[in-house]
Amino acid sequence: MKKIAFLFPLLAIALTSCSTNNKVIESKVFCFDTLVEAKLYNGKNEHIKEIEKILNNISNLTDNYELKSINGVYAINQTNEEITIDEQLYTLLQDSFDMANNGVDNFNPLCGSLSKKWKESLAKKEILSETVINEELDKINNTEVILKDNYVIQRNGEAEIDLGGVAKGYALDLVNNYLQENGVASYLINAGSSSIALGEKLTKDGLFTIGLKEVKNAYIKAKNCFISTSSIYEQGVTIDGVTYSHIINPKTGSAINVNDGVIVISRNGAFGDAFSTSLMNNTLEEIKEIEKINDIKTIIIKNNKIVYSHKDIEVKYH
Amino acid sequence: MNKKVLRNDLILIASLLILAIISLVLVLTLKTKKNLQAKVYVQNEVVEVIDLSKKEEKYYYVQGLKGLVHIHTKNGGIAIVESSCPHQDCVNMGYVYETNRPIICAYNAVYIVIEGKANYDVEI
Repeated sequence: MKKIAFLFPLLAIALTSCSTNNKVIESKVFCFDTLVEAKLYNGKNEHIKEIEKILNNISNLTDNYELKSINGVYAINQTNEEITIDEQLYTLLQDSFDMANNGVDNFNPLCGSLSKKWKESLAKKEILSETVINEELDKINNTEVILKDNYVIQRNGEAEIDLGGVAKGYALDLVNNYLQENGVASYLINAGSSSIALGEKLTKDGLFTIGLKEVKNAYIKAKNCFISTSSIYEQGVTIDGVTYSHIINPKTGSAINVNDGVIVISRNGAFGDAFSTSLMNNTLEEIKEIEKINDIKTIIIKNNKIVYSHKDIEVKYH
Repeated sequence: MNKKVLRNDLILIASLLILAIISLVLVLTLKTKKNLQAKVYVQNEVVEVIDLSKKEEKYYYVQGLKGLVHIHTKNGGIAIVESSCPHQDCVNMGYVYETNRPIICAYNAVYIVIEGKANYDVEI
């Protein structure tokens, strides 16, 4: 018994030192007009530097408010001439138009000018007039973007390109690919809460705990996926009891959404982002059908309550 | 084995176990009582670190990219109360008391992050 007794101090030390103090490398970058936080649980500083480079590059290329890249979206929107653009932006544009034409019905990369007009109007607490909405819809319907060889693009028409609905997700796809190629499996990249890339946490089950801001005490657990969120809560403006958001229905030009919040769990960041934007204007029945034919899982929120969640998502409450 | 030796051994074991449990509780308590602090960034540089645990009511003035940003703390929360930005999304966000909810003024490249013990890895 005396021999066994010496094990107890060891037990005490073991119990009191069992914290998970793995060296986490963190970074905060201001890009995409938001805060992007990267946490690598088994990475190196060089990985963080590369992640920051990827994020800043895509943010500059897709900015449609000021010229941050001579071969980016802002530059494209200034001309109807042919323009040679960055390879990654070319791929993102190709993917965006493909998604818009193949099932992501309420997402249109040509909503830039309409979206800006709504933002300006809502900043003054005013509703955009039907006349302006119809003018902008005409522009959208009469504009085409031709993607030519050698990364040459030509925009014919007046509608402006806006990749705000997919840019962060696309950047996270590139980050995810980079991390996978470099053997970094444990990470959390949070692009302003609306686009998140998850690896595996360094715990037994590898799952991250994700709180749902707008639903009291609700949370989910997930790993190795992308989580995209769209909602009216943070940028919504209420006028005469009606909430208008920054998410515009490209078919009607309306800023009133069918759902208050949509969370999409997917295997691809850009795809998830496009769907979270688009599904804001789909009915529940439509969303269930869309889930069946696409590799996505959704949570739908209305009036701060979850009105639907995919059968494979377990929403828990504290 | 005589009874006295067995009794002493049991006392020793019990004492060590109690010591281990007390140590564990102390470590966990100290960890969870980590104070919340707000870091104010301008263009990715920390310009102010504010201890929110003092629950002080105080104003801070930060020069953003395009104008001045007024920050206010009270009751352990922090808010941007005035900003030169056109959309005022940062001001409309109101007071934040928890981690995982950064306040962002994109126009002025100012963001405020509360650091400390969080309930979740991330919030969406």
